Amino acid sequence: MEDVVGSFSPVIAARPVVSVFGLTGAKLDATVPLPSVFTAPIRPDLVQFVHKNMAKNRRQAYAPKQQAGEETSAESWGTGRAVARIPRVGGGGTHRAGQAAFGNMTRGGRMFAPNKVWRKWHIRTNSNQKRYATASAVAASGVAALVSGRGHRISGIEEVPLVVSAEVESLSKTKEAIALLKALKAYADVQKVSSTRSIRAGRGKMRNRRHRQRRGPLVVYAQDAGITRAFRNLPGVELVDVTRLNLLQLAPGGHLGRFVIWTQPAFEALNAVFGSQTEASAQKKGYTLPVPVITNPDISRLITSDEIQAVVRPSGAKTQRRPFTQKKNPLRNTQVLVRLNPYAQVLRRAELLGKNKKTKKYAHKKSASAKFLQILKAD
Amino acid sequence: MNNDGIVWEVLNNQFCSFKVKTDLGNLCRHPYNVTGRCNRRDCPLANSKYATVREHGGRIYLCMKTAERAHIPSKHWEKIVLPKNFAQAIEVIDKELVYWPGWMINICKQRLTRITQYLIRMRRLKLKNKTTLVPIKKKLERREKSREIRAEAAARLDQSIEKELLERLKSKAYGDQPLNVNESVWKEILEGDAVEAESDVTTEDELEDEEEYEYEEETGSGGRLASEFVADDSDADDSDAEDDDDLEDDMEDFGDMSPPEFSSAEDDDSASDEDDDEDAVEDDEEDSDMDDSDESDSAKKPISKGKRPAAPAARPKPAKRTKKHGPRVEVEYETESAARDTMLTNW
Repeated sequence: MEDVVGSFSPVIAARPVVSVFGLTGAKLDATVPLPSVFTAPIRPDLVQFVHKNMAKNRRQAYAPKQQAGEETSAESWGTGRAVARIPRVGGGGTHRAGQAAFGNMTRGGRMFAPNKVWRKWHIRTNSNQKRYATASAVAASGVAALVSGRGHRISGIEEVPLVVSAEVESLSKTKEAIALLKALKAYADVQKVSSTRSIRAGRGKMRNRRHRQRRGPLVVYAQDAGITRAFRNLPGVELVDVTRLNLLQLAPGGHLGRFVIWTQPAFEALNAVFGSQTEASAQKKGYTLPVPVITNPDISRLITSDEIQAVVRPSGAKTQRRPFTQKKNPLRNTQVLVRLNPYAQVLRRAELLGKNKKTKKYAHKKSASAKFLQILKAD
Repeated sequence: MNNDGIVWEVLNNQFCSFKVKTDLGNLCRHPYNVTGRCNRRDCPLANSKYATVREHGGRIYLCMKTAERAHIPSKHWEKIVLPKNFAQAIEVIDKELVYWPGWMINICKQRLTRITQYLIRMRRLKLKNKTTLVPIKKKLERREKSREIRAEAAARLDQSIEKELLERLKSKAYGDQPLNVNESVWKEILEGDAVEAESDVTTEDELEDEEEYEYEEETGSGGRLASEFVADDSDADDSDAEDDDDLEDDMEDFGDMSPPEFSSAEDDDSASDEDDDEDAVEDDEEDSDMDDSDESDSAKKPISKGKRPAAPAARPKPAKRTKKHGPRVEVEYETESAARDTMLTNW
């Protein structure tokens, strides 16, 4: 490939190939090269961020009535009446008279900071971030460990990512769909969903959210020739067009690793949908897949690898000894003095040598000895 | 693509369905985890190269996982059956996991040790024939007990035994001079045989006898259950319905059972009060019979309330019968016993 984007070369030079499975679950001769999306960097932090924002886009406004709790002409009775100073409803002849009002702590009072409908309910996220997150989520769906860690029952599956032949797109009976899933050993995941169906705890029960259950496989197709109708009644199974992949389905709860079943046309279309690191996507104008900052993100593995360990200097002591735990007086300790003032050593040395020399010279320059004078003067 | 570091980052910081957070630290519920702890080193998902020792059905397997099969979940784990001999199993582990990280080999061996130990213990326990504790279900026990009593009463074992014995006597199974037989009973049987031998006329009587006998049998062994506490009452009923022979036996039994005081007193009174008593008692019994019949018809289910019916469950007596059986002796006895019964119950 020409060097279009920097100096990046695809991580895998020869793209691995994914086998296709038929309606009976048997491996077909046909194979599909792995689309580039599956080599996109997996960024759990980004996926979580984007998911959080996207999840808020389905919200509907809620707020109390604007005048709620304030539709009284209550006034505080002030002090001296042996009651708390909270505003109280005036008038008489009814229970309501004299009751506290207006406070968030009072019964029938307005709540603290009443919710307003003009709260920002929907969050806008940068397109590039959204695309990055979706690409990450698709890549994560190709990692068996992540799919299994997320909780999907895939221990019987023949390959990850799981690609089924194009005939599946024209299935129309749910019976056939179940037969296919059983043949692929993917039915365990659907059974997991039905077995985890339970009644929700809390008020949601009476708000049309009575039941909750786990998520099953996500079936991605390129053309709906009946596949939707075949799979849609199975509990937990979701269907989506490959051109409209949704992060909320690929990473439910912001957690990577949804179990995805691709149809062959859909799998092949992924290259057109996302493009590659070097080639722009056909669907997303001008978009290329993100280039990872580090091609092998397994830092611990890198560090412990032989190549790096061979050139690494020996490590220091586990615990280092602290220097200078005791202050030493430079005026009394020559070592410390010299550390602070290296020239002091020269001076000191000179001093010492000078002392020796001086004593000698002095000896020379001294006046003649008494004996000599005596001899000289003796005449 | 598949990258151990990323996998660990995601599973540890985001969500792992196998992770269990406890006070003792994070544990891993993954069946192939070699230590059971959740950390970077022991995670079977975050390590492409991994080995465990697992036990299934009493056999121990060395399970190995490599990066080459990471994309084929169904073939992730290569299972090698370890020999039953412990030393040989250790050798196999050494051979298969040569050049693998030392700590992994050691932990696999430790796991093998532990598994063999508990398997040995399991086998030893099985040989011990430990007694299993079975809980007592009060409701069940109570229900079964009362059912037993009712079944026993309904079976009327004494009646069937009597019949059987008489049959045997009649059929001369005990020969011409059987032992321990009441003289009068034996005489009756012999007379009966003689009558049979004589002429055809008697057949009518016999037929009638048989009919009525059958009739009695039907009603007696029919769906109607006797009262729960049956001993005395059933005897009273039976004596009325059955043949003279049985009666004598019953009488004898009764004579033995009842306290001496009563018997003497009763004997004195019975003669005088015969007629009155028997009428009164007969009326009572007829009434009680009607009540019982109503009961039995309306409630086909067993009367399981544990209560004694007020009146003894008696069989209906057709008017014909009393006429047929001429001698009043039985009836007297019956009333006596009935009176005695009521006196006993109403003590």
